[in-house]
Amino acid sequence: MTAATTAPDMELTLPARAANIAVVRHAFGALGEALAVDEETLSNIRLAVTEACTNVVVHAYPDGQEGALEVLATLREEKLEVVVRDEGPGIGPRPGSPGLGLGLRLIVSLTESMLLGRDADERTEVRMTFLLSPAAQ
Amino acid sequence: MTNTPLQSDQPLENSVFLRLANGPLAAPVLGRVVSMVLARADCPMNRLDDAMILCDALSAHASAHASDGHVAFTMDIDGQGIVLRVGELTEQGATKLLADAAVPGVGNVLERFSDELRIELPSTEHSREELILTLHFG
Repeated sequence: MTAATTAPDMELTLPARAANIAVVRHAFGALGEALAVDEETLSNIRLAVTEACTNVVVHAYPDGQEGALEVLATLREEKLEVVVRDEGPGIGPRPGSPGLGLGLRLIVSLTESMLLGRDADERTEVRMTFLLSPAAQ
Repeated sequence: MTNTPLQSDQPLENSVFLRLANGPLAAPVLGRVVSMVLARADCPMNRLDDAMILCDALSAHASAHASDGHVAFTMDIDGQGIVLRVGELTEQGATKLLADAAVPGVGNVLERFSDELRIELPSTEHSREELILTLHFG
């Protein structure tokens, strides 16, 4: 595909709203089907990406404000790297969080690797790598 | 995208940017994203069908006119319809993409299934031609 370039194979930017998480999930469903990713791996990808996007929708922006949710997917040989990005203040302890605090642990359990950080433009990002196992022909 | 205050009732407006590499992902991902975004905006079924035909035509021909191996789609949706901008095309790429969508005996698919269609010429030295399609829900 585009292994020689650094540009993602898929870049999706949309308002960080709960309803738009379904759009992201469907985009990854189409991606998985196009690449013949096996069902279990695709399920893991979609669940981990959903968790990361949910974190953006719930935590990234103050109440009453809306910002961007950016999702990038890049194929590298047998791996898929997915970056979920926002323009919020970053990931830290949230004593008043409505969640159970299991999201990031779940993502770790579903990915080959996961990195939290900030990009060159100081945007918060979750970088996930998945090992793709082709579906049986 | 900048942070903007939300209205008291959640607006139907949505703005989605999708950039896809040429290759096997383009057609399925474009179709799925557009269909989901339109479904969320309560787009009528007949117009959803039209949008899918437009997506098929765009994904079939846009890659031939991509300037750097990627094509960008910007979707602006409200309760009335969708404006779909196709960008990152080569010089005169939008014009050529439109020409490629002509099907013998059927006519031009992009013209036939969209309500408005125009080509926006580059406004600056570094910007590129864009193909802009509008589909009304009503």
